[in-house]
Amino acid sequence: MLQADAATAPARLIAGGATILGASVLADSSIEHYRGSFHHPAMAVPIVAAVAAIRVNAAGGRDRSSVPNEPLRDPAQRPERRPRTPAHAAIAAAGAAGLGFHGWDIARRVGHLRWSTLFYAAPIGAPAALILSGALGAAADALATRDPRLGPLPVGGRFVGALAVIGLVGTSAEAALLHFRGAFHSPWMWLPVTLPPLAALALARDTLSGVPKDTSWALLGATALLGFVGAGFHARGVARNMGGWRNWRQNLLVGPPIPAPPAFTGLALAGLGALLLMRRGHG
Amino acid sequence: MRADALTTPRAANGRAPDVFEPGGWVPMREHREQDEVDFAIVGTGAGGGTLACKLAEAGFSVVAFDAGAYWRPLEDFASDERHQAKLYWTDDRIVDGPDPLKLGSNNSGKSVGGSTVHFAMVSLRFRPEWFKSRTKLGYGVDWPIDWREMWRYYAEVEEALKIAGPVRYPWGPKRPRYPYRAHPLNAAAEHLARGAEALGTDWAETPIATLSAPHGKAHPCVYRGMCVIGCSTNAKQSVLVTWLPRALAAGAEIRDLAMVGRIEMGPNGRATGVHYHREGEWRFQRAKNVVVAGYAIETPRLLLNSACSRFPDGLANRSGLVGRNLMVQLNQAVWGQVDEEIRSYKGPPSLAINEHWNYADAGKDYHGGWAYMSQGPLPISWARSLSGGRGLWGRALIDEMARSNHSVGLKMVGEVLPYAHNRVTLADETDQYGLPIPRVTFAIGDNERRMVAHALDFMEASLEATGARERWRETDDTCHLNGTARMGFDPETSVVDADCRSWDVPNLWICDGSVFPTVGGANPSLTIQALACRTADRIKELSRRGAL
Repeated sequence: MLQADAATAPARLIAGGATILGASVLADSSIEHYRGSFHHPAMAVPIVAAVAAIRVNAAGGRDRSSVPNEPLRDPAQRPERRPRTPAHAAIAAAGAAGLGFHGWDIARRVGHLRWSTLFYAAPIGAPAALILSGALGAAADALATRDPRLGPLPVGGRFVGALAVIGLVGTSAEAALLHFRGAFHSPWMWLPVTLPPLAALALARDTLSGVPKDTSWALLGATALLGFVGAGFHARGVARNMGGWRNWRQNLLVGPPIPAPPAFTGLALAGLGALLLMRRGHG
Repeated sequence: MRADALTTPRAANGRAPDVFEPGGWVPMREHREQDEVDFAIVGTGAGGGTLACKLAEAGFSVVAFDAGAYWRPLEDFASDERHQAKLYWTDDRIVDGPDPLKLGSNNSGKSVGGSTVHFAMVSLRFRPEWFKSRTKLGYGVDWPIDWREMWRYYAEVEEALKIAGPVRYPWGPKRPRYPYRAHPLNAAAEHLARGAEALGTDWAETPIATLSAPHGKAHPCVYRGMCVIGCSTNAKQSVLVTWLPRALAAGAEIRDLAMVGRIEMGPNGRATGVHYHREGEWRFQRAKNVVVAGYAIETPRLLLNSACSRFPDGLANRSGLVGRNLMVQLNQAVWGQVDEEIRSYKGPPSLAINEHWNYADAGKDYHGGWAYMSQGPLPISWARSLSGGRGLWGRALIDEMARSNHSVGLKMVGEVLPYAHNRVTLADETDQYGLPIPRVTFAIGDNERRMVAHALDFMEASLEATGARERWRETDDTCHLNGTARMGFDPETSVVDADCRSWDVPNLWICDGSVFPTVGGANPSLTIQALACRTADRIKELSRRGAL
C-alpha cells in the first residue's frame, strides 16, 4: 500500500503530463481542424475531449472526495472507487476514434499507403495523444486510491513508465515522419528524433528493472525542456514562410505546428513521475 | 513593379539586385572592359548562369551578359499573366516551314536567369539509354557523354536546387533520394494518378524545382499556382535565385540589359571578346574565353552573325551544322470535364507525372519517348487553349470559361528527332539593335505524328478512366527548344565536343540546350544545368593541365 506523500508528488507530475498532453491536443487539433474547415462534424470531438482532459487532469493526482484539492494524508481515508475513470475512458475513446478516422483518411487517398499520403493526409499518430492523456490521467487518479489499479493492472511506476515509453516512441515516430517531410532542412530537426527516443530507451530499461538510473532523470528532464524549445523552433518555422508573422493567419496553418512539441513535455513529466514512484519503492 | 529594370541596368556601380529583399542590393565585383577576363558568358539562364557560378567559384574572373532585366521577384512579379509577358523573348523573329513554331511563353525567356524565371520547374533526368540512342535504341545520334557521369551531375544540380520529389522514383536506374520531399498532390494530379493506376502503369509525384521546405532565404511554396510566370515568393528555384547569388558572392559580374551582338575573332583564330549593346551604345569586353549560352535560337544566331573573313559561314560552323537539327518537344494535350472541382490554380501545375513511355519501348510504332503531366493552366492561357486549340468563340467560349473549374487535362512532353532541315538562319531584316533577326524553320516528321497519336490515345484513356466527359484534344502546341549546335565525337558531324568546346575555335564554348544531340521526352532544364556543371569541371581540369 502506498504512503501518502510517496504517491502525491508523482501523481501530480503524471496528471500534469496528462494536462499538457490535453492542452497540446486542444491547440493542435483546433488549428489543424480549422484548417480542414471542420468539414466533418466529428472534427469537433478532439477539441471537446481535450478541454475535458485539461479540466479533469488539472486537479489530478489529488483526491477530491473528502478534502477538495488537497492530498490525503491518511492512506486509510483514500476512496476505493475512482469516480473520474469514466471521464478518462471517454477521453481515451475519443483518441481511439480519431486514430480510426485518420487511418481511414489515409486509406482512401489516391495511392493509398505511400509516403505522400503519410505526409499530407491526417497525421496518423496525433489522436493517440488523447488516449495517452486519458490513460495517464486515470493512472494519476488511481494513485490516489487505496488500491491503485486500472482494470486488472496495478498502477505504479512501471505501469506509468510503460505508458510514457509508448508515448515517447510514438511521438518521436510522428516527429520523424514530419521532419522527414521537411527534409530535416535544419540540423535542429534531428533533436526530437534522437533525444526522446534515448529518454524512452532509458525509461524502458528502468521500467523493466524497476530501478531508476541517473541518466533517465537527465534524459527525461531534457526531453521535458525540449518540448518548449521545440515550440520556439516551430514559431521560427512559421516565420520562415512567405510573409512571416505578419501573415500569421495563413502561416500558423501551413507552418510547423507550434503546439505539437510540448507533447514531449507532457510525456516526459509522466516519465519523471514514473521514476519518482519507482524511487519511492512503488514499482 | 519597378519598370526601371527594363530601361536602366540594375547591375552596375559595384552592386547587383538582392533577389531576396525588396529594394535590396548585394555587392558585385566589376571588371574593366579593357581587362581580359577569363570568361565572357553570353546568357545567364540554365546553362550560362550555372556555368558563371561554377567558374567564379573555381576562381576564374567571369562577366556574364544578359539581354534581359535583373528582377527582384519579391517586388517585380505581379500575379498577372499579361504583366509577366515581360519575361518572354518577344523580339522580332521570323517563323516558317510546314509547322511554324509559336515562340514566346513556352520556349523563351529574356531576363537575368533566362527562361528558368518562368519555367514550370519540372526537373527530370534523361533516361540513360538516350545518351546512346543510336547505339541502344536505333534512332537519333549518340551523345559523347556517358550517362553515369551525367547521373553524378544530375545529383549535384538536384541538391543545389533542393528539388522536391518522390522518396522513390519508379523509373530508371537507382538515384539518390530527392533532397526535399514531394509536394502534396492537387486534384489535377490525383486524376493523373488514378488514371495511371487504372491503365496499369506507375505514376509519381513530379520532381519539381519549388521548395517544399525553407532553404536559405527562400520561403517554401505557397501553392498560389502562378508557376509558369515569375514566382513572387522565391519558392521557385530559378537560376536567378539559386546559381546567380552564388556567382555574385564568388566574384562574378553580371551585366543586365546587355545584348551581345558579335564575337570578335583575333588573327590567331581565337576569340578575343564580345561586342555588346548596353545603355544605347555598342561596347566591347575583352576575354580569354567566350561562352555562348543563348539557347537554341540566339546561340546559332550569334555564331552565324559573328562570321568573319576567317570563318565566313559563322563561328564553329565547319560542319555546317550551326543552326541545324533544331528540336522542339511535342506538347499535345487531352482535356475533359469532371463533376468535382479541379481548381487548377492550386499549386504547381504539374504535380504528378507518368514517364512510362519514356522507359517502355514495346508497343510503339515510332522512335523516342514521351511523358505526360497533370496541368493547371492560368486563365488567359486557358482561354487561348479554348479559342486557338479548340476553336471556341463568343458565347461558346464564355460558357466554357465559366466551367473551367471542372476542366482537367493531361499534357505530353514528347521527343522530336533531330532533322537537319529544322534550322535557325539569319533573315535580311534587322532588329532594334541593328542585328539580323533569326529565321526559325520547322517541320514535324511522320515519326512525331505517330507518337502524338499514341500519346493522345493513351492520355484520353487515362482521363476516361477517371470519369472525364466531353473530352477534346489540343494538338497544336510545342515546348522547349534544343539542338542547333550539337555536341559530338568529331568536327565533321558536330559543333562542339563533349566538353562543349567548339571544334574550330579553341576558346569558344557553348553551354545551353543547343548542344543537345537528341532531346528525349523529358523537360530539358535539369540536363542543361547538369551539362553546365560538367563543363565547368572540364574547364577546371583543362585549366589545371594548361590546356585552355
